[in-house]
Amino acid sequence: MKLDRRDFMKFSGAAAAGIAVSGLGFDLKPVKSHAGMLKTRYAKETTTICCYCAVGCGAIVHTSKRGDGRVINIEGDPDHVINRGALCSKGSSLKQLTENENRLTEPMYRAPYSDKWQTVSWDWALDKIAERVKKTRDTSFETTNAKGQTVNRTTRMASVGSAAMDNEECWIYQALMRSLGLVYVEHQARI
Amino acid sequence: MSKSIFIDTTICTACRACQVACKQWHDLPAEETINVGSHQNPRDLSFETYKLVRMKEEIINGKLEWLFFPDQCRHCEEAPCLEAAYDESAIYRDDATGAIIYTRETRKLDADDIIAACPYDVPRKAADGTLAKCDMCNDRVHNGLKPACVTACPTGAMNFGERDEMLGLAEKKLKMAREKFPKARLLNPDEVNVIYLVGFEPELYSEYAVAGATRKGGISRSVALRRMVSPLARLMRV
Repeated sequence: MKLDRRDFMKFSGAAAAGIAVSGLGFDLKPVKSHAGMLKTRYAKETTTICCYCAVGCGAIVHTSKRGDGRVINIEGDPDHVINRGALCSKGSSLKQLTENENRLTEPMYRAPYSDKWQTVSWDWALDKIAERVKKTRDTSFETTNAKGQTVNRTTRMASVGSAAMDNEECWIYQALMRSLGLVYVEHQARI
Repeated sequence: MSKSIFIDTTICTACRACQVACKQWHDLPAEETINVGSHQNPRDLSFETYKLVRMKEEIINGKLEWLFFPDQCRHCEEAPCLEAAYDESAIYRDDATGAIIYTRETRKLDADDIIAACPYDVPRKAADGTLAKCDMCNDRVHNGLKPACVTACPTGAMNFGERDEMLGLAEKKLKMAREKFPKARLLNPDEVNVIYLVGFEPELYSEYAVAGATRKGGISRSVALRRMVSPLARLMRV
């Protein structure tokens, strides 16, 4: 411990005061500093856009530099022109998109009339989706309506989602749905 | 000079960004909740919930008013909990920010005694008796950031700064609010560092919105004794 003269004066003054009152029953435990360091002090900062709604708030993602790259914190970006640091309750919970033990990490399947979910593989799930989409589309596809007008559609399937897509993803998604002949293409935020 | 938070409840939309941001920054777990017929969720502050937007539905002058109150620790200028504890290793005041900080050592205290001392009914205890409440994001404030709740607020209802500055802002906002809410007032502005502006009677928002002699926070003998010696003790703090 290195003391300059001023510190020494303070130190000895405090010690003298301590000695002076120690007999009076005062508790002179040192005040601990718990405020020292931010949990984001050594984290990597990356800016991002909130995935939830069309407002497009900016956020800062703090990730660990320890190699695991896990998210430590996500909060509003004060320099972002849209939100200037503010976020709503959903935006404030962005970290839970990755850091949440309740998050599903594998596809789950509930069979028709079953009351249980079971874990399945990605391959199985994707094959099953493709198979059922194809089957439903092929059996329900209408080329013309009752008036004989060309429609090329299916009304037995609908798409609900997704608010978490960006502009380009939405375009691809729309193209896929329309090419299958879907007419009910909806976004869950409106429901 | 301490730091203060000013909360203008008349422009709060109860989006609960503050509540979630608080949980997020402090890495606090979610609570299992049940539907009790109110959007307020969870029902009360807890050891794991330092900030809670209270919601009340009141019919005032024949009109339904939905009252929002983002409840949290007031970081009192003369904190009764600090006086009741009388143990700086457990509850202390950060002289740089004015924040009242609870440490793990609060488990040694009589938790119910500390909770009873709070006029705003804020501290909550864990199963082992450790106490917790809002710390005004003391780590953030010391590093030049605003508390998580204030940073997140999208309406400007929550503000943070030097005490003088916040008192000035509170007076200014009070004048503006009076035009729409004739009964608008500030809650204990001279005694606390988390200053609320409410548009209606504070009792309508929360039982403990405002400190009152008739409710909790009546001074016990032990607190009164400590209060007598506390100015001297403070003098001794270097």
